[in-house]
Amino acid sequence: MDKIASTREAFIAGLMDVAPDDPKICMVFADSLKAARATPFTEKYPGRWFDVGICEQNAVAFSAGLASTGLKPFFNTYAGFITMRACEQVRSFVAYPHLNVKLVGLNGGIYGGEREGVTHMVFEEFGILRSVAGMEIVVPADAGQVRKATRALAKRDGPAYMRIGSGREPVIFDDSMDFEFGKARVLREYGTDAAIFAVGPILKRAILAAEALAKEGIKTTLVEVHTLKPLDTDTIAAVLRKTRAAVTLEDHNINGGLGSAVAEVIAEREPASLIRLGLRDVFAESGDAELLFDHFGMGAPHVCEAVRQLVSSKRS
Amino acid sequence: MRPEVPLLTDMARHLRRDVFSMIHQCGDGHPGAALSITDLLAALYFHVMRVDPKNPEWPDRDRFILSKGHGCPSYYAALARRGFFPPEWLPTLRKLGSPLQGHPVMKKTPGVDMTTGSLGHGIPIGAGMAAAGRLAKLDYYVYVITGDGELNEGILWEAVQSAAHMKLGRLIAFVDNNGWQSGGVIKDVSGLTNLAAPFAAFGWHTQEIDGHDFDQILGAIEKAKAETERPSVIVAHTIKGKGIPFTENDNSWHKRVPNKEELAAALAYLGGS
Repeated sequence: MDKIASTREAFIAGLMDVAPDDPKICMVFADSLKAARATPFTEKYPGRWFDVGICEQNAVAFSAGLASTGLKPFFNTYAGFITMRACEQVRSFVAYPHLNVKLVGLNGGIYGGEREGVTHMVFEEFGILRSVAGMEIVVPADAGQVRKATRALAKRDGPAYMRIGSGREPVIFDDSMDFEFGKARVLREYGTDAAIFAVGPILKRAILAAEALAKEGIKTTLVEVHTLKPLDTDTIAAVLRKTRAAVTLEDHNINGGLGSAVAEVIAEREPASLIRLGLRDVFAESGDAELLFDHFGMGAPHVCEAVRQLVSSKRS
Repeated sequence: MRPEVPLLTDMARHLRRDVFSMIHQCGDGHPGAALSITDLLAALYFHVMRVDPKNPEWPDRDRFILSKGHGCPSYYAALARRGFFPPEWLPTLRKLGSPLQGHPVMKKTPGVDMTTGSLGHGIPIGAGMAAAGRLAKLDYYVYVITGDGELNEGILWEAVQSAAHMKLGRLIAFVDNNGWQSGGVIKDVSGLTNLAAPFAAFGWHTQEIDGHDFDQILGAIEKAKAETERPSVIVAHTIKGKGIPFTENDNSWHKRVPNKEELAAALAYLGGS
């Protein structure tokens, strides 16, 4: 059994790390205080949080009002309700005026599936937010990374979105792993047969796939793209230049997210063959997240098979 | 009559001249919606609000949000005449490179406290500003002008609930109740009547006034300020297209550009600049 840790609790821990030195940091909830596991913050900082009730559009607009005065609100609720229900408020009143509102979406991707149904999951927000000018998008891979990413975001000016999970995410990195905003990072460099690009907690499966492929003699380069926007196109292009073949893995519809972003780099900078793994333009369903990933073609064996396919067509 | 009323009346006359000239020069705009709020804007910017045009980002300043952003020609005229930017900017409205966008944009236009245009957002954002002021222990007020047709928008009522719950006594909203929306008379298009009642039901302090009577406008603001535990709404009964005889209550002026003859007639009616 893999070790798990809560990205929700890690977000609050990250905020607690920076809040003592930055009195402008505050929190906004849409009756999401409990879901956010935010009691440590709200108990320590009474007055520095606002709960508007179950109305995400209002919460985002309210946050814009707070930010217009210089406060740094972090609005935390279900990722889909922020990015879809309140999409226009995010675009027109946070991103357009470039206000310092941080949006933290929980239950992102299939990780919401064990607790909820499709209405409470979201697999579309990378595509939605990538097309909003000036919006930064971060998807840390595990709880430790969420804590560090939160600290990094708190120091940045302007709008940003961070996706977190349901609270039961696999631990991938030890505490020594840093988080550098905006940089894709090469995690495994077995060789240049193919590249594997992954984002978010599903990265765990990409690591297993790269390791399994290495054992059978297929040598990949594994890259974690935790910052989807701004995209580290230089690192991605440099890897593509060497491999000319890539698989992307994401807990998201294959349209609009990491796979699309890598496809854009391929089209504009470094031609390569590409297989995008993710939800293949279908909706997920309720169930254990790990079983859902396998069911919907996002397992380590699926990554291995995609890489084998690319490598064999390269060699033929 | 209050001693400041003659000055405000004259200022409103100037603003209406500016509005009609701007929309004529620009070739697009919403004269009817701009003219119904001119008197409210004159009262706010030339008597009520604590602002410093030389320091538009002053943290202690009163805030204003034009929730019905399409009425912005009046707003821009008021800001220019109050000294936030040169009046020479006014004819650049909606032209490429102009700081005066077709709907207000906070980071392009000095004095604009919040980007608006998409309807329903003034009260939600104003609530955030008012809550921030309380947290920072600043004593500024947040004024919002929302349209009456705009009350159709759901987000507005989300904020009416939460602003009352948060006891945001320094949030003061006007409803520009000119009785019209794009498609016609409000009671026909969307059925809204008795606009103050839902605000009262959610716990707001409510008043109804003639939105073109400066004594009533100033009196209502004083009463709203006296309410420290409740946000206030002032339903201002107004006339769409107010101030120019042939635009008053004629909804064809919701979005229409005055031609040269119409501009001349309006300016002649309003009187010298």
